[in-house]
Amino acid sequence: MDRRCLLVIGAGILLRLVLFTAFPSLPTTLAQRVEISTPVTSYKRLQEGIYLYTHGVSPYDGGVFHQAPLLLSLFSILPPSAIVTNILYVLADLLSAVSLVKIASSGVATVTPQHVSPRKDNSWPPWATAAAFLFNPFSIATCIARPTIVFTNCIVLHAVAAAVQGRRAPAFVSLAMASYLSLYPILLFPPLLLLTYDCSKTSPKPSIQAFSAVTTVLFSTVLMIYFKLSHLLTGSWEFVASTYGVHLLLPDLTPNVGLWWYFFIEMFDSFRAFFLCLFQLHLLIYVPGICLRLRKQPLFALITLVGISSIFKSYPAVGDTGLYLSLLALYNHVFATMRYSFFLAAAVLYATFLGPAFYYLWVYAGSGNANFFYAITLVWSIVNALIVADALYAVLRDEHETERPELIGKDVVQI
Amino acid sequence: MTPTSLVSRQWLPSSSPPLLQLLSRLLSTLLLFSLAGSTVADTYDETLLLQPLSGQFLLASFNFRSHGPIQAFNKQMFQLFPRSLGQILQYTHTRELHLRFALGRWDSELWGAQPDDGQNAGGTGVELWAWVEADNDVEAEARWTSLNNALSGLFCASLNFIDSTRTIRPVMSFSPTGDYPTTNTTRLFLLHGTLPKEPVCTENLTPFLKLLPCKGKFGISTLLDGHKLFDASFQSMSIDVRPICSATTGECDIEIQQNIDMVLDISRSLQRKDSPVPRPRDQHELICDATKSYGSTEYCYPLDNSFDLPWSLSDLFGKSILGRCPFAVRSDQEVAHVCIAAPKERIVSLPEGSDVTQKTLEDGRRCYTLRDNQPFDVFLPKQEPPTSPHRQEPLLYAERSFTGHGQEHGGVKTVLRNPSTTDAVEVVYLESLPWFMKPYLHTLKAELLPSPPPSAGKDAGKVISELYYRPALDRKRGTQLEAKLVVPPNSVVIMTYDFEKAVLRYTEYPPDANRGFDVASAVITIPPHRRKSDGKFVPATSIRTTSLLLSLPTPDFSMPYNVIIFTSTIMALAFGSIFNLLVRRFVAVDEVQRMNLKATIKGWIGKLSKSKEE
Repeated sequence: MDRRCLLVIGAGILLRLVLFTAFPSLPTTLAQRVEISTPVTSYKRLQEGIYLYTHGVSPYDGGVFHQAPLLLSLFSILPPSAIVTNILYVLADLLSAVSLVKIASSGVATVTPQHVSPRKDNSWPPWATAAAFLFNPFSIATCIARPTIVFTNCIVLHAVAAAVQGRRAPAFVSLAMASYLSLYPILLFPPLLLLTYDCSKTSPKPSIQAFSAVTTVLFSTVLMIYFKLSHLLTGSWEFVASTYGVHLLLPDLTPNVGLWWYFFIEMFDSFRAFFLCLFQLHLLIYVPGICLRLRKQPLFALITLVGISSIFKSYPAVGDTGLYLSLLALYNHVFATMRYSFFLAAAVLYATFLGPAFYYLWVYAGSGNANFFYAITLVWSIVNALIVADALYAVLRDEHETERPELIGKDVVQI
Repeated sequence: MTPTSLVSRQWLPSSSPPLLQLLSRLLSTLLLFSLAGSTVADTYDETLLLQPLSGQFLLASFNFRSHGPIQAFNKQMFQLFPRSLGQILQYTHTRELHLRFALGRWDSELWGAQPDDGQNAGGTGVELWAWVEADNDVEAEARWTSLNNALSGLFCASLNFIDSTRTIRPVMSFSPTGDYPTTNTTRLFLLHGTLPKEPVCTENLTPFLKLLPCKGKFGISTLLDGHKLFDASFQSMSIDVRPICSATTGECDIEIQQNIDMVLDISRSLQRKDSPVPRPRDQHELICDATKSYGSTEYCYPLDNSFDLPWSLSDLFGKSILGRCPFAVRSDQEVAHVCIAAPKERIVSLPEGSDVTQKTLEDGRRCYTLRDNQPFDVFLPKQEPPTSPHRQEPLLYAERSFTGHGQEHGGVKTVLRNPSTTDAVEVVYLESLPWFMKPYLHTLKAELLPSPPPSAGKDAGKVISELYYRPALDRKRGTQLEAKLVVPPNSVVIMTYDFEKAVLRYTEYPPDANRGFDVASAVITIPPHRRKSDGKFVPATSIRTTSLLLSLPTPDFSMPYNVIIFTSTIMALAFGSIFNLLVRRFVAVDEVQRMNLKATIKGWIGKLSKSKEE
């Protein structure tokens, strides 16, 4: 890690600390934004959970708290001071930035055993990737609002950083933790497995089957340990239904930036179960296709899946998009082949500014209705989906050009 | 004369035809004879208390109480106990039942403490609580459900909508009022349900009157008429069934007590009598304050309470009491059926020729015994200067309101004020909130005003001594919050907490979704205690706040198809564009033969024209 990296990270941390101290009411204001806090990550709900837990009422026997028990016990042993909590969140972002620097320094984004990008010299230095995360407004807002998605993101990045160094155990212990905290990172298991396999330095290399079998056992054992620990901490299994059940069944229809809430408000009761299954399967269906097609670049398969789950998971927030965009910065060398970069950037800004305005019109001013905010979430989702697709196009084009260097700079079509 | 007053005239006994009078006399005689033949073990009392309140209001409390041996009740031998209700209670193993229908707000600032220490009042809408005997929780729940369904049919109220989300099991607030010498009290389950939105109306009064032995045909219940009752500023109907046991003999009776409290606005009722359609008063009818400098012949500064309004029973209720209920008679004593608790100075006169016995009690009440088949009326003439009615200071004033704005978050603020200068009040505060109102208990704060001096120690500002909280589960149960707190003398406790408003599925909204959702009244119970300052015993008292109207964010109800289509389109678009990239190969543009649209169309046209020529 060079001086520039340290400088960037220091500046990012300082910015967060300044925001926390100079605007003491900012965390509370941002924590109430539906775009940033969701029912499964909200800091206010976490506080409620801690309060109930420390006063002997099971927080999982209620409709407010839907977060993992280990998080609960972590926060209940912390001193109840805002400064300590804020520092914890800033530290999580610090760790995320360090992980991103590690990932960027490893060069896996440009050079993998099966693929060497012809544009590898264009890639940004590690400090720029860290800056893309630390100065991303979505990440900053998420850190200040203190939803627990910050920890999930941090752990996911840590898992990836461990994977690019070929360290299997830390990678999958972390991924298990991320899945335990917010369920959907479990989708990242296949690409992370491929990434770890590609980057593992053990020789002779075991076969992929043997490697994945061992990793699966490791992953599920660690997950079981987390569950058992949670069971011991809360004394019952009711946390399973109250945390993962909420992710899966969507009982809380609080608005967010995703597609689910309004769809299931307006859904006919008889079709609710069908569409719930469909929406969950829809997320699952991308995993094999992307992993197979992007076998040469498992890191990008992982990033694409992060992007897809940030759009289509049940309670998405801008923090998920922030993670995706920061990870996407690792692939800036292919941005030149993206087709709609200007349009997409403009549309992201459009949705970012109009979203809060339309939400205000609906909920506070009463001069708009729910369709206003719904329309913006549609725009937000389609824009993010197009970013994912366009980045995928750029990477595939890049990959194609290593096979046929003569096509560099020429128009191509897909057949 | 309007047709309505014509009709009401006809039913006045004085103007009823002689034949009808004869028939009714015959009937009641027959009834009495048949009663003498059988052994009526049940006793029945009915009393009406008329009490003028400050601000030209009149409280009319109707009380109907009957009790009989519980053995006969258990063998389904009903005498005065209503069979319909009795069978429901037996079928559902309900040992004690309390049902309340209430409308309006009791203005304790003006009227003082509620009658009977608030024991007969309920929260706005319908409130029901019962002790159900069962082996376990599940059985109690099932019996509670069937009790609600049966009572719903009996009282024409939506009691069947008291489901698990509106049912709570209070821990500190309620305690049984009946005696249970033989029943194992661990088998008794207390369940409590509220319907704050229920509009109480005539269809609930009719079945209520049918439970009475005289069914509203004789006695004080003849005054109860939907038009008058539901025109009152505050009204509350209650039914309480409980077993009572004699401490000396150990014999148990089952008691049913029906109560109606109504607060009539005297001037409004009198105006209704003169003209059923409200109209502004003529200028000469206005009472103006002539002492005001800005008053003139054109401007009137209204003067309140310059004299006591004259009223009679028939003015206020549209009719006088018809005879007496033959069951409400004791051979050994004169029963006081109607009592007037007016100040001593207030003149009460009876119509000429009525031979009603009047008795003045020690506390100044004037009580009257009704006579068979004789209409009863009292008249209180206009009196100047006005008398000041006795106002009993309530133990506690309670107000509850919402804070915040918008349809996302909000707060609840409860203000409890203890007017006593000497005694602290210990209260149990109970709230039953719907599941879509999600309180944050960590934001619950109780602030004491005036705040105790810092020298009083750290715990001096601590008001809440005990807290019971059961969080809501989405669509399964509501929140139950019970707090035991102490309000020191001459001080105010302000309790606040934040909550979040949930968004519901579009099928869960009522048809008038933008009106909002009613949140049940908070129940404040003051347990029986001995007053510290003078050692006087204070019986259990309840106070209920008003219900609240919670507005939730609403979706667009016309959109289900559009939303399904739009969202599905977005998902299909994302899926399509990503899978398109995944499954197709890249080639250079010049490597593929592209379809030449122009040439193709030209070719088609050429073919067509060829076939035409042929």
